[in-house]
Amino acid sequence: MAFFKRKNRIYVPVITEEVAKEILIRCNSCGRLIKYQDLKKNLNVCPYCGHHFRMSIRDRINLLTDAGTFEPINEDLEPLDVLNFYDGTYYKNQLAKAKRETGLKSAVITGKAKVDGINVAIGAFSFEFIGGSLGFTVGDKLVKLFNHAKKNQLPIIIKFSSGGERIQEGVYSMLQIVRVIQAVSEFKEDGGLFISILTNPVYGGASAIGMLGHFVLAEKDTMIGLTSPKVTELAFGMSFSKELQSAEKLLENGFLDMVLERKELKEVVSKILKIYTNRSLI
Amino acid sequence: MITLLPFEHELAHLYKELDEKKSGAEREQIKKQIEIKLEKIYKNLTPYEIVEIARHPNRPQTVDYIKEILSDFVEIKGDRILGDDRAIIAGIGRFKGLSVTVIGSNKGHTTLERLKNNSGMIGPSGFRKIARAVDMASNTFKTPILTFVDTPGARVSSETEKEGSVAAFAEPVKAFLKASVPVLSVVIGEGGSLGALSLLVSDRILMLRYSYLSVISPEVGASVLFKDRSMKKEVASALKITSRDLLNLNIINGTIDEPFTGAHRNPELTIETVREALHKEFETLLKETPRDLMKRRAEKFKKFQI
Repeated sequence: MAFFKRKNRIYVPVITEEVAKEILIRCNSCGRLIKYQDLKKNLNVCPYCGHHFRMSIRDRINLLTDAGTFEPINEDLEPLDVLNFYDGTYYKNQLAKAKRETGLKSAVITGKAKVDGINVAIGAFSFEFIGGSLGFTVGDKLVKLFNHAKKNQLPIIIKFSSGGERIQEGVYSMLQIVRVIQAVSEFKEDGGLFISILTNPVYGGASAIGMLGHFVLAEKDTMIGLTSPKVTELAFGMSFSKELQSAEKLLENGFLDMVLERKELKEVVSKILKIYTNRSLI
Repeated sequence: MITLLPFEHELAHLYKELDEKKSGAEREQIKKQIEIKLEKIYKNLTPYEIVEIARHPNRPQTVDYIKEILSDFVEIKGDRILGDDRAIIAGIGRFKGLSVTVIGSNKGHTTLERLKNNSGMIGPSGFRKIARAVDMASNTFKTPILTFVDTPGARVSSETEKEGSVAAFAEPVKAFLKASVPVLSVVIGEGGSLGALSLLVSDRILMLRYSYLSVISPEVGASVLFKDRSMKKEVASALKITSRDLLNLNIINGTIDEPFTGAHRNPELTIETVREALHKEFETLLKETPRDLMKRRAEKFKKFQI
């Protein structure tokens, strides 16, 4: 059972119901065994210690939006392999594998939806798609979503979880950060509301973009930083206390508005949206 | 004796002989031998070898360029919030009779300098200092901005995390996008990841022949992708990080020639070449109205598509 041994792969796979009854999952945090069904029912949060496991992108959209209201935009945009990148495996093959395993075409899905009846533009990163890394297509889809939201005067919600830049796309991936920051700035200057939700982990360019939200909410157990401790250690042979990149610490240092439990997310987002849409314009 | 790079080590004994020999004729002969060998080595450089040249300690750095090509340089320090990041040097000065604002990485030549400057790795105060210099150039001095890029990347330490690199990084990017003055960037050595990107949101990007620009350093890239640091050479090639590759990909606007055997062997000539290249670039940039430039800069980054 290699799956249980691999400590860093903590997302919960999709399993048929019959099998699901039998499966137990060990919590990374408290070490207790949890019934798969109980975990699912509890939004992938450990019922004993409250540790937040990762959540599939579809469950995430369902959690945040009203049932059946999500309509994808630019669903067909796919990453390209401009550099013909090879790192032991071809990037092309890696993309094909990610697409097959996740059923997605890129690491972010974008679209329109309703939250408690309020129309919003929404985007969500999938960490399962090559670490949710920010490459050309992710950047492009985010830019298009911000432009769509600006044109249609919609508030925008983005759920981040990203390991950093899509290294396989070289300098192109870096330049996407500039593009997205630009789109966010134009959207905000136009009076748009941007709610940013950070879920474990948010590294690299995604963290810089996430910080631009008018409200920056983080889920419990989220790590946030420009560079991950792993990369820091590889690069400089030194490390620092990981705790400094925890959502709780960032809240203390003034970079977040709230650290929330998963079940509280929609309620808070909805409250902000209601105040925003019902404001009387002065 | 000059610090030799790993791929030049076959020359070590020649340089040693050169130090020992006294007579002029013998020295000339050895010098010639060295030249021939160097020529051969530098003819077929791999991307990773170019990275090694870009990191050479004797390579001219921002401070050297400022000293040689600017007159009346006045430095600005501090981000007016938390402190002064020595990894960034910024200020105003005169370049060939033209008032300019200069912002660049400050690596340091000696170990002591490198320690003080964090080897040019930018932290939150550095990002905010860049934004401050850009705002001043755009709003008050109305001078063109010149940036020199030579950084291994953004810094990570307990301080940077506490002071919020994540929140500070967007500041220079936003400032550059809004700047209503010409912005010209030169990668003079290392162009490492987000640290470099914070100085590259410009109208024109030039790179010295032996400089590199990469989303991740080849060593870390190798560790992340191959789980094996020794694959750095393969990663350096795969990432397309040399000036020639990036010119072919249309990401940069031009390259600046440097001495065939590396800027570190002839810093004076390198600086002179850069001065001429900058002069030429400014002549074309200054013909355009600031408003057009700003608009085109915004369009340029919108269009960074594949």
